[in-house]
Amino acid sequence: MIYRAAFPLLGVLATITLWEALSVLNAGSFVIAGPVDVALWLRANASLVGHASAATLSAAFWGFVWGNLAAGAIAILVIVLPRTERFISFAALVIFCLPIVATGPILRVLYGTGTGPQITLAALAVYYTTYLALVVGLRAVPTGWTDLVHLYGRGPLTILRVVRARACAPYLLAGLQIAAPAAVLGAMVGEFTGAERGLGVLTLRAMAGLDVVATWSIAVVAATVSILAYLGIGALSRLRGEGPPVLILSTGSPGARDPFLRRMVEAIGITLLLLLIWQVAMDAFGLSQFFAKRPGDVLTYLGDPVARNTLLGALWETLIWTVPGYAAGLVLGAGLAAALTLLPGTAGLIMPLAVMFRSVPIITTAPLLVLALGRGATGTITIVAIMIFFPSFVACLHGLAQTPGQVRDVFASYGASRLRLLVSAQIPAMLPAFFASARMAVPAALLAVTTTEWLATGRGIGALMALTSSTSDYNMLWSAVVAVALVAVAAYLLVERAERWILSSYAAEQLA
Amino acid sequence: MTSFTPLTRRHVLSTGAATLGLGALGISPAIAQTTDVALQLSWLHSVQFAGSYIAQERGFWRDEGLNVALNPGGPNAPVEPPVVAGRALVGISAADYASAAVAQGAPFKIIGVAMKKNPFAIASLPANAVRTPADLVGKRIGMAIANTPVLQALCTLNDVDINDIEIVPTQYDAAPLLNGQVDCLLCWATDLPVAMAMQGVESVTMLMADHGYSVHSQTYIATIDSIANRRSDVVGLLRGEVLGWAEYEADTDAATDLTLAMFPDAGLDPATQREQARRQIPLMFPDDASDPFGWFTQESVAANIETLALLGRDVSPDLWDRSLLEDVYA
Repeated sequence: MIYRAAFPLLGVLATITLWEALSVLNAGSFVIAGPVDVALWLRANASLVGHASAATLSAAFWGFVWGNLAAGAIAILVIVLPRTERFISFAALVIFCLPIVATGPILRVLYGTGTGPQITLAALAVYYTTYLALVVGLRAVPTGWTDLVHLYGRGPLTILRVVRARACAPYLLAGLQIAAPAAVLGAMVGEFTGAERGLGVLTLRAMAGLDVVATWSIAVVAATVSILAYLGIGALSRLRGEGPPVLILSTGSPGARDPFLRRMVEAIGITLLLLLIWQVAMDAFGLSQFFAKRPGDVLTYLGDPVARNTLLGALWETLIWTVPGYAAGLVLGAGLAAALTLLPGTAGLIMPLAVMFRSVPIITTAPLLVLALGRGATGTITIVAIMIFFPSFVACLHGLAQTPGQVRDVFASYGASRLRLLVSAQIPAMLPAFFASARMAVPAALLAVTTTEWLATGRGIGALMALTSSTSDYNMLWSAVVAVALVAVAAYLLVERAERWILSSYAAEQLA
Repeated sequence: MTSFTPLTRRHVLSTGAATLGLGALGISPAIAQTTDVALQLSWLHSVQFAGSYIAQERGFWRDEGLNVALNPGGPNAPVEPPVVAGRALVGISAADYASAAVAQGAPFKIIGVAMKKNPFAIASLPANAVRTPADLVGKRIGMAIANTPVLQALCTLNDVDINDIEIVPTQYDAAPLLNGQVDCLLCWATDLPVAMAMQGVESVTMLMADHGYSVHSQTYIATIDSIANRRSDVVGLLRGEVLGWAEYEADTDAATDLTLAMFPDAGLDPATQREQARRQIPLMFPDDASDPFGWFTQESVAANIETLALLGRDVSPDLWDRSLLEDVYA
């Protein structure tokens, strides 16, 4: 017991030692401050940091609540009325893709001053991952059980209440664990739309003021809060007595195939509906056409070949980075989760590092990474991987734990090695969660690449969007938003295709 | 240096009463309804806007019948949308931003200029200094890619080939200069060089305005509609600004103290703010101009139009409307 408890402590100690060593090695470069300086700064500025944290964390909290409530509502809608799934999935994806360059001014104009934009951006940062995790969880039920409820003449609502709600709990908790750091970051970024106080405000101030100790101290506060929230939600799941499920969920059946024509009609219908919502929502709020461009504006603007070529050129530059960044993030997340399963002792070392990497704002770490790795392929892909690996790491970790007890017993009775159990039993059990995270990572990777382009490489659609804000070129901005959304939808469809193909063998209940 | 007649409280009161048409009724404007308006700032709160804080603290706007909210900006808070949408009566922009917005269909006028000299500068270290634009050749410059046209204009004005300069995209941060990733930075003369000085690093600052780059900065913008229909509010807001910035010029340290007191949670460093407040003075009240605060001349407008043309903007003098300032100083 003592031995096990010592590991997390060792991990924290190792992290702090590594961090101090890095700061000593980079002394004088103004990109990193060590834990000693940070502790002293925090002590000296306790009241300032207290006020800033209170402002940011209350926005993050309300964003977390609203975002997850919204995710729950649409996930239940999708389960009870499966016909709505395609539309809701794509609407949720497209809204998640909206960059803050486009949403920031709109939220400020809608809310005026106050914390509305911070809360909304925190909610937007969390709802999508929770929604995807919940849908997978609500479906992770044995087909026999749903058949049983049907046999008693009860409908989908009873199944939801009696069967699905319980089955989804571990997935929901995984979703909430992913959401907690995202809410904090969302609230901080929300302050970039104009705020009087908060951790995001202090970060901007410290960076421009070359106050690297303050920059890192604020990052440490944000990371600590995220880690505590992560651990708190994790403790909640242990409280429930979460163990591996006892049942094998499905025996596998070939997934039904929709005819091509029907899918095409459906896709066109969804697109038209989304465009209609875009137009009507902006009209309803009376948003000025100067900065809130409508679908018609974008269509007219892209009729100009110069604009179209600029956009396509930038998009191409972005895609070149997105694909390797996406792959690197997924591999890092799934790989870390697998490593943790093979070597459970390393959990104490890897977990704090992973949560910390995710919850430290990228504008704090990017200068260090760029200094170490440069602005080329290595630096860019590393930044993107760090920004997106976390959801797949957490989802895969929970997925690996979903290996049915009967299967474990079989492997144990044959004296199979840990590696064999991982490859033949746990990874197949992890697949639904892995694919859910692969879908989560699609828009996340695009957002990560565009952020990196703005911070470090100065190319692609991220740099183009940053430029539009100083030139009021909102036509180009909204055209870029549409382009990013289309790419996200296309990539999502590709991932989904691979998912259906693989899950039809391993987890057919997901394809219901 | 100012040559305008000082505005007395009595003068303000009498015009205020006349505007409101309340004088005849014997109602003093002091108890008359105040109008809520907002001034959209272009960045987070700091001494950059200290004149406005003075105007608020000293009640210069209250005397005008205005209750002015000072809305902070930020990296994702462009000034133009809230002004177009009417959330803010007046915004703090710059001639290049404002002219771009107008080209995109925004109905703005520039009605005052707080920084007559543009604050953009090239900062470098003494060992590898950039003192003239010609020194840029062969250097690596750290800047936001969005500012490429600014560098392009400086190069054109001084016969430097921009292709001889290596542009490195950086965050708005002096660290890349100090750790040798770049040789110089494109920044404001009032922020990153001050930050370096506070860390004990001596730097060389070449102000672009001294090399032909004429772009009015920290300009007041308002919509044509507001200028026509809410003229007295706009003039009142400007009058408060004029009075506030006059006090700022007289004592930047007092202005800094006020800023720090008003925004204790903004994380402002007193020494940095004090220095920034001092370095703003030559940009807002240049020695060679005898004009009062906010004022702009026909010549400076012509010079702006020339520089803006280099930035790819076709601008007409109609973008500027001095009539409101003329009312203020009448």
